[in-house]
Amino acid sequence: MKGRTSHLYLRYLVALVLSLGTVAGISAQTDTDPNSPMPILLTGAADNRALTRQTVARPVLKRSKGGAAQAVAYEEQIVPAGAFARDSRAVLFLANLDLMEGEGANAFRVYGRDEKDHIFRFPVISIEPTQMMRMNVYELTIQLTDETGFWGEPSGGDIAVYLTWRGLASNEVKFGIDTTGGGIKDSPGVVPMPPEKVDAQLSGGKPSIGRGGKQIVPNYVGYKWSGDRRRFLEQATFGPTAASDERIRRVGLHVWLAEQFAAPYPSLSNPYPNFPLQAANPVTTCDGSGTDDSPPTCFRDSYTQYQPQTWFFREAYYGDAQLRHRVAWALAQIWVTSGVDIQQGQHEVEYFKILANNAFGNYRELMKQETLNPAFGDYLSMSLSTKNNPNENYAREIMQLFTVGLFMLKSDGTPICAHDPCQVGESPLSTYDQNNVNNLTRVLTGWSFCQLSGATCPHLTSGTVNFIDPMILNPAANGNINNNRHDVTAKTMLSYNGAPNVNIPACATTGSTSCAVTTGVNAAQALANIQTYANTSLDQALDNLYNHPNVAPFVCKRLIQQMVTSDPSPAYVGRVAAVFDANRSSPTQMKAVVTAILLDPEARGDNKTDPNFGKLREPVQYATNILRLFNVKGASGNPLSDGSFALTNTRTSPPLVQVFEFSGMAQVPFMSPTVFNFYPPDYVIPNTAVVGPEFALMNTGTAVQRASFVNRMVFTSPAIAVNSPDIPLGTTIDLSDLQALSAADSSGGLLMDDLNNRMMHGTMSASMRSTILTAVTSISATDALGRARQAVYLVATSSQYQVQR
Amino acid sequence: MKKDRREFLIKSCGALSTVAIATQMRHFGLMSAEAQKVIDDSPQPNNPSDYRALVCVFMQGGNDGNNTVIPNHTAGSSNTFDLYNTARSSQGLAFTQAQLAGTSIQVPRIGNLAYALHPGLGIQTPATNIVNNGIHELWASGKLALVTNVGTLVQPTTRATYIGNQVVKPFQLFSHSDQVSQYQGGRSDTQSFTGWAGRVADSRQLIDNQGALVPMVTSISGAQLFTSGQSTLPLAIADSNTLLNAVLNPAGFGTNPTGSTLARLNAFNSLRTFDLSNNYVAAASNVTELAMQANSKLQTLVTLNTNFPNTSIGRQLKQVALMIKKRTDLAINRQVFYVQLGSFDHHTGQVAGQNNLLVQMSQAMRAFYEEMVAQGLGDKVTQFTMADFSRTLNPAGTGSGTVGTDHAWGNHMFVVGGGITASNFYGMDGANSTPFPQLSFNTADDSDNGSGARGRWVPATSVEQYAATLARWFGVPSSSMASVFPKIANFSNSGGINSDLGFMQPPAP
Repeated sequence: MKGRTSHLYLRYLVALVLSLGTVAGISAQTDTDPNSPMPILLTGAADNRALTRQTVARPVLKRSKGGAAQAVAYEEQIVPAGAFARDSRAVLFLANLDLMEGEGANAFRVYGRDEKDHIFRFPVISIEPTQMMRMNVYELTIQLTDETGFWGEPSGGDIAVYLTWRGLASNEVKFGIDTTGGGIKDSPGVVPMPPEKVDAQLSGGKPSIGRGGKQIVPNYVGYKWSGDRRRFLEQATFGPTAASDERIRRVGLHVWLAEQFAAPYPSLSNPYPNFPLQAANPVTTCDGSGTDDSPPTCFRDSYTQYQPQTWFFREAYYGDAQLRHRVAWALAQIWVTSGVDIQQGQHEVEYFKILANNAFGNYRELMKQETLNPAFGDYLSMSLSTKNNPNENYAREIMQLFTVGLFMLKSDGTPICAHDPCQVGESPLSTYDQNNVNNLTRVLTGWSFCQLSGATCPHLTSGTVNFIDPMILNPAANGNINNNRHDVTAKTMLSYNGAPNVNIPACATTGSTSCAVTTGVNAAQALANIQTYANTSLDQALDNLYNHPNVAPFVCKRLIQQMVTSDPSPAYVGRVAAVFDANRSSPTQMKAVVTAILLDPEARGDNKTDPNFGKLREPVQYATNILRLFNVKGASGNPLSDGSFALTNTRTSPPLVQVFEFSGMAQVPFMSPTVFNFYPPDYVIPNTAVVGPEFALMNTGTAVQRASFVNRMVFTSPAIAVNSPDIPLGTTIDLSDLQALSAADSSGGLLMDDLNNRMMHGTMSASMRSTILTAVTSISATDALGRARQAVYLVATSSQYQVQR
Repeated sequence: MKKDRREFLIKSCGALSTVAIATQMRHFGLMSAEAQKVIDDSPQPNNPSDYRALVCVFMQGGNDGNNTVIPNHTAGSSNTFDLYNTARSSQGLAFTQAQLAGTSIQVPRIGNLAYALHPGLGIQTPATNIVNNGIHELWASGKLALVTNVGTLVQPTTRATYIGNQVVKPFQLFSHSDQVSQYQGGRSDTQSFTGWAGRVADSRQLIDNQGALVPMVTSISGAQLFTSGQSTLPLAIADSNTLLNAVLNPAGFGTNPTGSTLARLNAFNSLRTFDLSNNYVAAASNVTELAMQANSKLQTLVTLNTNFPNTSIGRQLKQVALMIKKRTDLAINRQVFYVQLGSFDHHTGQVAGQNNLLVQMSQAMRAFYEEMVAQGLGDKVTQFTMADFSRTLNPAGTGSGTVGTDHAWGNHMFVVGGGITASNFYGMDGANSTPFPQLSFNTADDSDNGSGARGRWVPATSVEQYAATLARWFGVPSSSMASVFPKIANFSNSGGINSDLGFMQPPAP
């Protein structure tokens, strides 16, 4: 196909430019049009009834004895659809697509709305190219059986149907279920899209919709798509800033990514917190009570999450390595530990370092490092699990939450059931059972904190638990074979096609590798053999998990949900998962995965119209996006925020001071309520069948807290009595640039234009704009700051802004 | 009598403004089949004449039932203290009979034999947040019932049918998130979009709460599956650290905004009616609208008679009590509340951890009960517990400081209030012909099989049976049970649907 050839050609060009760019360090380049064409469902000419392939009866005259008689012939025709029987298959015709290699049925979703306004989703069975007039057209076969199971059966009669692809929605068409007619109302603006009209549009004088790859404006370099630039920064960072937007405009996405992959992390001005580990029982000079604490902030800095939390926000506000910070944060919401149980801030720092260090690395390496991380060992009890008293906690969660998940998945992340596709209400096949949990538990017995003096545990500090060095096997064995805590019997791992290490053999009891004392093997040697055996078994078990076909779609879908959209199409998940798989052994696997997530056509484009595209901003992203948009600063004239929200000037309850804003919105970093994170990835919004994980944090209470947070940031200037060096400085924003725009135009128009671009990437509707403008102009034009505040408050608290899309 | 759609919307969302209607119309294309049927079929129903509420206390993480209700006798039954003691004492997890002396109970259902509750549920040494004698005392006064060995089930199941794979097993047994969802969702065969309180509201809101100003279901602990219906949304509010008049009140508008502040408020409210073609925008607007509507109804404050402990669960139940005190202002007759406390997931540190939580729970539930009595609602408001699952009889780890337990299955649930029939054990009989599971490994009620069996009880009673008994008292008629609990028919006996375990008094006449 012609379109495909040129598309591929452009991709090669991009690859070439990228490699040059990487060599040269930073070199301007031009990125191609990120916009996919808008898919068009073809209709008849009279109205918006979908074109379909139907067998049509045609009367014919037939000569017979006794004269002419009516007879009927049947033929397949492409006609406006009447009604299809429910649960039957229907063919629709789709124009204006530009499919990539391998892009097929799972890239599309077809929705139907019945007369009760219930929404159904119909599985797409196949898509086949065909030709209609001068157009490349696709024949789309769908199954008229709802796959969400939310509303039961659609009522009979006409239903309104649209399709989504790469975050875009098609036009709306209509056909009947069982019968035509009924009470369905077309959406506003629906028009017929007959082939003649579409053909003329696509191949007539005008350029076809979205085929902009050839429309490069020469005096731009880098990435001129301003709407998509902002969207990209929302997905890849903690919020767009003028500087980062300008950088991408100049260098383009690929060079920006290369810069980000190379950026030092954490920022040189914001090193990781580095506070000494403390005893589990605080000494009186560090217990947060009385006046004898030395330094006065000892308890806050050591025994709360104040340091990692404020460090985290400083890096989000000001850090240059935004992408690594964002990916590490996404990983932290998959690999969860929490200060609810983890005692010291520094323990959480060490756990977070592993996520950040491996954010662009290899997932298998991440698995190994976190498995032996002391905070994880503590949080999920692996540090206590022994052969005689095994603890299933970590074994269960590493499977359920961090690697393979509960259900068998196809490579595009959709579940596998006994039926294909799964039927409504059918449970998918389980990935593992209790027996698997028991066996993995046994592999993971015997590790605990690195408490040996000497080179084995370089970070051991006397009187504290070593939460820095990885856990080791049998730290308390003390040369006595009876103190071995590792289960040396045989184990059975997950069994699947091509699974490595399904059977982990028992350790030998004779010979030089014996785990028992035997001829030629004394206790010390046997313990050393056990350690070797255990470490080998651990790697075997992790390889068994890592190579499970679920891992790629499971992990990639979660990362997409964290960064781009709550309910990605299976095709998108599949494309990223394929990159994950293709880079299984690469030390930079995650770099490729992150690139694939961010540059996927489903993520990119100036305007997304799929009603299910995007995600509710979680409280952390909501706050950092707003703060970065408006020059986040410290309170009381400090040029930089220290990462706290200082609403009072007391340090008697410092963690509360820090987390105040986020506890109201129900997401305090480093304080997830459970290992299941702040919100579950499969959360379905109440009253809908729409997947929206962050909505688990959006209820009447938190919705109001979000507005109150914006109110405090926009309308109040927290005054902090900075009379003591250990008092948090707080965070505020600076609207002076908006104030200038506001002063320059008494109509308020410039102000609104800027906010539309800055916050909404140009998607602000006319009604939203005029509503806000009315409130803005209720303030005298002489109060330029008041107008700016009014406008920022209203955009920032709007649902339109709260959804990243 | 067929009511029009707009009237339905007004009633279902609680007197919404015209602006709100515009917002809601789109989402309330969302009318459940059940709600639709009610509208189509019912004669104009009358609001009930009394007030009733269910209060769910969820023990997040899975409370260890084996240390919560303990056989405290040594003879005359297959279940004895010795069985419990043998299974747990060597690792430091068993109470002594001396420790249990203050929380003993006699169980009519099992020959008046002595059992005991966790000592944390009894009288505590005076200390901060010890404000009463706890819930153990309510057994003697007939206000505390126990439903024993309850759990997620798809159909009646025994050790033999479980091990022999002769039954459909609950979806993802032993996984926290799934088991929580099944307790809250009220079905165990598949994932559920809705919770059983939400479906109760779908079924009853239009009939019992006509003209109510807030939704039927309120959570004091965020969005929960339990609270979500197909056509009804819950209210979610913070605990009593925030006054009711502030709990849904966005900062910055004051009480009587004028001028540019009023213009801002008007715009803030109007923006929710635009750009609803994106489902996430629409959902966010929907929730915020519900909050703003409820806020306007919560501005007059009330006070309580009872002292509540200043713990998370204490503050949550106090907020529930404050909401209930406003029932007349809110014109509401039937309410379901959700509160929770955690973290019961004691893989380690259970001895101190579970005691700490159960003391908090007991103190808060007792305070709440006394406040309901003071409000004249002692028999009109019922507290009941749920939890992810129970925990293995065989401990994990050893030593009183570290010992814990792993995920298991059938568990014991508390029901508190004057609406119960009598203090007793309730539920179906298990392998030992009592409703209390046999505390033996690899036999009787244990779902674990083989020499490493750790004691995970196959429930004799399903979550649906437990919940349906509560729902029946609340006013859900038999004809609606199948829509609220889709799998309840699996638990029928020869006499019909066995959805009444008998621990609640009859529904309101």
